[in-house]
Amino acid sequence: MTHHDPRAGLTSDQVASLLLDSAPYLSCDECFERLDAYAEAVLADPRHTDVPLQVHLSACGVCAQEARSLVELLALDG
Amino acid sequence: MTVVSDDVVGVDTARARASWAADDPWVGELRDPDGAGRAAVLRLRGLLLRATRHQVWSLRHQLPRAGAGDLEDLAQQAADDALVDVLRRLDSFEGRSRFTTWAYKFGILHGGAAVRKQAWRHREVPLSDRLTVVDRAATPAGVSEGHDLAAAIRAAIADALTPHQRRVALALLVEEVPIDVLAERLGSNRNALYKTLHDARQRLRARLAEDGFLDHLPGGSTR
Repeated sequence: MTHHDPRAGLTSDQVASLLLDSAPYLSCDECFERLDAYAEAVLADPRHTDVPLQVHLSACGVCAQEARSLVELLALDG
Repeated sequence: MTVVSDDVVGVDTARARASWAADDPWVGELRDPDGAGRAAVLRLRGLLLRATRHQVWSLRHQLPRAGAGDLEDLAQQAADDALVDVLRRLDSFEGRSRFTTWAYKFGILHGGAAVRKQAWRHREVPLSDRLTVVDRAATPAGVSEGHDLAAAIRAAIADALTPHQRRVALALLVEEVPIDVLAERLGSNRNALYKTLHDARQRLRARLAEDGFLDHLPGGSTR
């Protein structure tokens, strides 16, 4: 990972991330509280929705990676 | 027909969860200070190590110079940290998921934090409150919609955000500093930085909408 090159301009991904609609607001702690039940629910039914949590995961890269990793681990356990 | 109000159902559901949680053999044994408790703690640490190893290996690309031994050391240390965290927060387990899933998430959390901390240990965390870009579209052919949007975003970052919001948004989204690494460097926490980022995004969206760029905003109109 390198520092942002000020001559390079913003990438389309960076623009999209800066302008992302992160409402309804859910904190990282609230996301963590709900993550275990959400991961089990998604594995049981991939169509399961939890809109505030899913919005948070789309807006917070670290929480999103943790969610993916937990789901993967549960899937490995079968 | 028996009529049961939603409130009563809610209370019963809460009681059932509390009862289920209290009856979970893991939770009961972990509270036992004697032999069964010690065995349960060892079993829990094994479970957490499985989660920290999974997470550390998932993120190993962030540590390209680390060997298998280095990654194992990180996973072991993270499992110790996760064990302390789980035992400290045992009373907050409410049975919304299996206990093992609840415990796993602490392993994932601490494993990830350990990798990111190591990856950024000797790296400068850029904290600029200015975005000084020369956008790529500033060519004769680039006097276009894209050029206008880039200029509008630069102006919104400069004018609509506080200096703190600019530093946090640019560090997290442009420099790609992980939120827990940035929180540690700033003496803050993930919650506070995510709230700052959320507020910054809302301000940028509002400004772009005011400037007539509503169609470019991901996620529909501003709320």
